Amino acid sequence: MDLTYGLVTGILFGIFLQRSEVLRHDRQLGALRLRDMTIVKFMLSTVVVAMVGVYLLVDLELAKLSVKPLVLGGNVVGGLAFGLGWGLLGYCPGTSLGALGEGRWDALWGILGSLCGAALYAEAYPVMKATLLTWGDFGKITLPQVLGVNHWVVIVPLASGAVLLFRWFERKGL
Amino acid sequence: MNAQGTVNPGRRPWSPYVGGALSGLLVVASVWVTGKFFGASTTFVRSAGFVERVFSPERVAALEYFVKEAPKVDWQWMFVAGIFVGALLASLASGTFRWQGVPPGWAERFGPSRLRRGVAAFCGGVLAMFGARLADG
Repeated sequence: MDLTYGLVTGILFGIFLQRSEVLRHDRQLGALRLRDMTIVKFMLSTVVVAMVGVYLLVDLELAKLSVKPLVLGGNVVGGLAFGLGWGLLGYCPGTSLGALGEGRWDALWGILGSLCGAALYAEAYPVMKATLLTWGDFGKITLPQVLGVNHWVVIVPLASGAVLLFRWFERKGL
Repeated sequence: MNAQGTVNPGRRPWSPYVGGALSGLLVVASVWVTGKFFGASTTFVRSAGFVERVFSPERVAALEYFVKEAPKVDWQWMFVAGIFVGALLASLASGTFRWQGVPPGWAERFGPSRLRRGVAAFCGGVLAMFGARLADG
């Protein structure tokens, strides 16, 4: 049953990504070069709607959060490597399958590279676990928890900030 | 719909705000119904395990990371496969499918070489996936 839900969710997400033109290499590079904010608009809209909706579910005790740990060593070094790779590839590895789906077959090289990167990480994992992944390990924390406030005190300003940013993008024609 | 144009640009795209908000609702529905949050990079680990198991099953069994993220088809694996299917269907239906090996923006800057594009895309994939796994993203 889980597998069917996964497939249906993926198909819908693939349609939304494709119709919004966010799978394209030139759009992704446009976002990284701060020239074309299509991707940022798409991602932030998703984040804001999902943030409000998921926390509503949590408040109603209909869902549980899945919090990833903050490990500065892994997050910072991993983030830098991801950024370099994303800039070179021009597709997000996760959605590179979608780019291939709309015929951009250079994504195939990225998918092969991603598989090699994953295999490489499996080899490197014991070393990473003993080094980078022990640096600055704060565990599974969230902003509301660290600030000691109700989560809506964080959600409302973040959502408002996103709306202001969108208005600024539209004024600047980005 | 595009009358006499030589290159049919296909149907007009959606606003990224609409596509993004719909995706946000999809996340909420997914978390509500199945408890699953969106992700993709674990699927690359599982799939790399599948491929590597063909050549060296002992190596895969010996690596702690492949024990943690065992090679198997799960919710996320089907989700990633679904992204391919969804993009294929949507691009065909809207006339925006393009068989293209070098993106126009890349060609403008680095030339039309498919080899050069392929090497950069491959290296980018290696780096991006290694980084994504390291950052637990």
